[in-house]
Amino acid sequence: MSEISRRELFRLGAAGSGALVLGMVLPGCATAPGEREPTRVGAWAPNAWLEIDPDGGVAFTLDRVEMGQGTVTGITTLVAEELDVAPQNIEVVFAPVGDAYINPQYGLQVTGGSSSVRTSWERVREAGARVRAVLLASAAEVWQEPVASLTTGDGHVLHPDGTQRIAYKDLLALAARQSMPEQVTLRRPEDFRYIGKHNRRLDALAKVTGQARFGIDVELEGMRYAVVARPPAIGARLVAFDDSRARGLPGVIDVLAIERGVAVVAESYWQAMKARGELSIEWDESDAVKVTQNSVFRQYRQAADDSAGDTERSEGDAAGVLENADEVLEAEYEAPFLAHATMEPQNATAMVTDRGLEVWAPTQGPDLARIAAARTSGYSPGEIRVHTTFLGGGFGRRLTQEYVEEVAEIASHRKEPIKLVWSREDDIRHDVFRPAMLHRFRGALADGRVTAWDHQITGPLIFDWFARNAAAAQYPWAPRMFYNTLASVGRMTEDTFLTPKDHSAIEGAVDVPYAVPDLWVRHTHSDAGVPVSYWRSVGHSHNGFAVETFMDELAHRAGEDPVAFRLRHLEDSPRHRAVLERAAEAAGWGGSLPEGRARGVALHRSFGTFVAQVVEASIEDGAIRVHRVTCAADCGRMVNPDIVRMQMEGGILFGLTAALYGEVDWDENGRLQQSNFHDYTLMRHDETPELSIILVENGEDPQGVGEPGTPPAIPALGNALFALTGERQRRTPFQAGSADA
Amino acid sequence: MTITIRVNGAEQSVDAPEDTPLLWVLRDWMGLKGTKFGCGIGQCGACTVHIDGSAQRSCITPVARVAGGEVSVTTIEGLAGEDSLHPVQEAWLEHNVPQCGYCQSGQIMSAAALLDQEANPDDERISEFMAGNLCRCGTYPRIHAAIRSVADGSAS
Ligand code: FES
Ligand code: FES
Repeated sequence: MSEISRRELFRLGAAGSGALVLGMVLPGCATAPGEREPTRVGAWAPNAWLEIDPDGGVAFTLDRVEMGQGTVTGITTLVAEELDVAPQNIEVVFAPVGDAYINPQYGLQVTGGSSSVRTSWERVREAGARVRAVLLASAAEVWQEPVASLTTGDGHVLHPDGTQRIAYKDLLALAARQSMPEQVTLRRPEDFRYIGKHNRRLDALAKVTGQARFGIDVELEGMRYAVVARPPAIGARLVAFDDSRARGLPGVIDVLAIERGVAVVAESYWQAMKARGELSIEWDESDAVKVTQNSVFRQYRQAADDSAGDTERSEGDAAGVLENADEVLEAEYEAPFLAHATMEPQNATAMVTDRGLEVWAPTQGPDLARIAAARTSGYSPGEIRVHTTFLGGGFGRRLTQEYVEEVAEIASHRKEPIKLVWSREDDIRHDVFRPAMLHRFRGALADGRVTAWDHQITGPLIFDWFARNAAAAQYPWAPRMFYNTLASVGRMTEDTFLTPKDHSAIEGAVDVPYAVPDLWVRHTHSDAGVPVSYWRSVGHSHNGFAVETFMDELAHRAGEDPVAFRLRHLEDSPRHRAVLERAAEAAGWGGSLPEGRARGVALHRSFGTFVAQVVEASIEDGAIRVHRVTCAADCGRMVNPDIVRMQMEGGILFGLTAALYGEVDWDENGRLQQSNFHDYTLMRHDETPELSIILVENGEDPQGVGEPGTPPAIPALGNALFALTGERQRRTPFQAGSADA
Repeated sequence: MTITIRVNGAEQSVDAPEDTPLLWVLRDWMGLKGTKFGCGIGQCGACTVHIDGSAQRSCITPVARVAGGEVSVTTIEGLAGEDSLHPVQEAWLEHNVPQCGYCQSGQIMSAAALLDQEANPDDERISEFMAGNLCRCGTYPRIHAAIRSVADGSAS
């Protein structure tokens, strides 16, 4: 049995806890990567990330949020490696909003796109290496020895005589006078002590003892609880409300109209919820969006018929070849709207202080949260501080900030600390969904090869919805009245030098790896008015399903083995080949199976990482049963191999959940029919297949791991069901059908 | 109204409406934030606590049901010993289970109750018992292996 270290136990908990942070120095608003004011007395803060205090404590400001994907461990390992302090001896602090912390891939301070390790790989290691170089130079001065003769070891500079050493903390005064070196040499991979080693997660202890502080756990002195009654249909507007019954209930403090609905403030969440149930509210639904999944797909079909769409990739003359081909296969696939269902429902806490507004939120984008708060509170971004907590799951959901808009508006009215909590019903019904997408394919075959490929993708662009706060977040000095204009400009300039191209509809389709001489990939824009957002693996979640199912259909039509058929089209793609071959081999592809089971395969690269999966499935008592998933992944160099493994495991189960159950739908009045886990089903423990994960080791640059496990799981299962039943699964969630296995 | 409840070995009085679910009394009245809210309808297990040793969903347990100090409630904060973790928590660390961690208090409380009742449950029993605890991050395989290791350890 291990001793619980109090320090270890509480350090992570404290980082996200309002109660503990308040009253002490609030984290500085560091805006430059240079030296900054330390947050502790006598500490040295040489750059935006590191701070060493005179007691020897090393604090690392983590600028990518922790939502389960492992940044606390992974990014801390990077800085630990170069600073030469063991990761478990570094205290992790969640970053405030600051220019130094912007994600270079997006120009925003967001965590997403499986980008954290990729974008920190050099930046954070360099930050650690620079500080170590200064400490070495300081020790060289003390000992009057050449710098090159000194080394470091876990928080100390070591003398060449092998006996003397100086702790980093004893060099702070000297170090503070040195200038930062421009150039630093990073540690060579063969010398890595922490990178690539199996490390326990640094946040695990806090999470198994209930000490990790999530957004929903923030507690402030005198805090009140708020819930919001939101429009029953998308786009419905508040007309009037009667709160007389609600106001008479115990614990109720206030009922107020806000931009997004009617807020109830009470002494407890429970009392606020009861009072919300007693409101009678009149909504104007004349402009409400009334769609169903079926009506949306009808709209998409019409759009696809009417417009060939924008060409996103074109090689040769696919249309011409298809026209004249003897063997043409056509297929259509549907991927529905999906909710995120993070385990921690949306929430945020805010408080007006004499300096402005303090916001605590489990958010994937603190700078977006700051704009969201500025929108509704009357404070400018410069007066708003955002504190990020642990996130109880993200999956893209927390890139959108409506909960921050709500809490900022309520707190600025009430002038008392407010915690806003969404119920699970709020969370599902008012999600911003993974967009429904329609895929149409035509493929030509000759001599066992695909000779032409035409993929038409129909559906919305996520950026149209995301621009709302994202555009303004890039201009935090802009007055609030321009936020919506900035958003429109952002949308209008999409794919120009002003605004990057939105790949959300086409990623995973334009980069189809198969060598096909005549290839056409196009996007027909059609938006049903349903708010949409990023959802684990984004466009890859539906393009992976569509492309890999169609490839399987082509293999079947060609009378070929699905693995061999894919390999034949991957001559020049060695890393694709390698993962496919390894997954197939480990899964016993082609070997015998128990009666009533079949295998399916899929291969998909996303966020830089190559993943192949083989799923083994059966149908038992009319229900699809997944027995085993074999997954081979190549994500380049791994910072923490066990976290890569965890992310593949989680990604696969996330994909299988969508394949088996994922769908939300509206009734004819625009009411979302799903509301909680009884009707928005997630895979459970007793349905979990056996997972075997093979990690391909190589020295390539590190790539994303949080999302790439998800896309192939869906088509691999669908392809297994086809092998089992002969019925092709062209729409998720899959149906066991009448097939008699 | 004033209600007396025994939580983690100590009797405490709270002034809460008696239909308030135990979950909110623990979290918002007593500041025990380790027990989590996931669904409020007994579907996810995030709010699991021990009531007289058995795993119960605190979101659908009115506080009145545990009032009076006769019934003993244990939360994740009270699971570990004075200076050592509970064997289930140890196994969780050993198997690197948590991802976002939000479901894990409930998972651990369920697992601890299972292993307390049955020293050596088989795989099917573990799966069936743990089916009430959702994990959106997909940590089930590791949870299973962690429970297995504790069961096997105590069986040997
Ligand atoms: S919150 Fe109690 S079971 Fe989900
Ligand atoms: S670890 Fe995230 S929900 Fe289970």
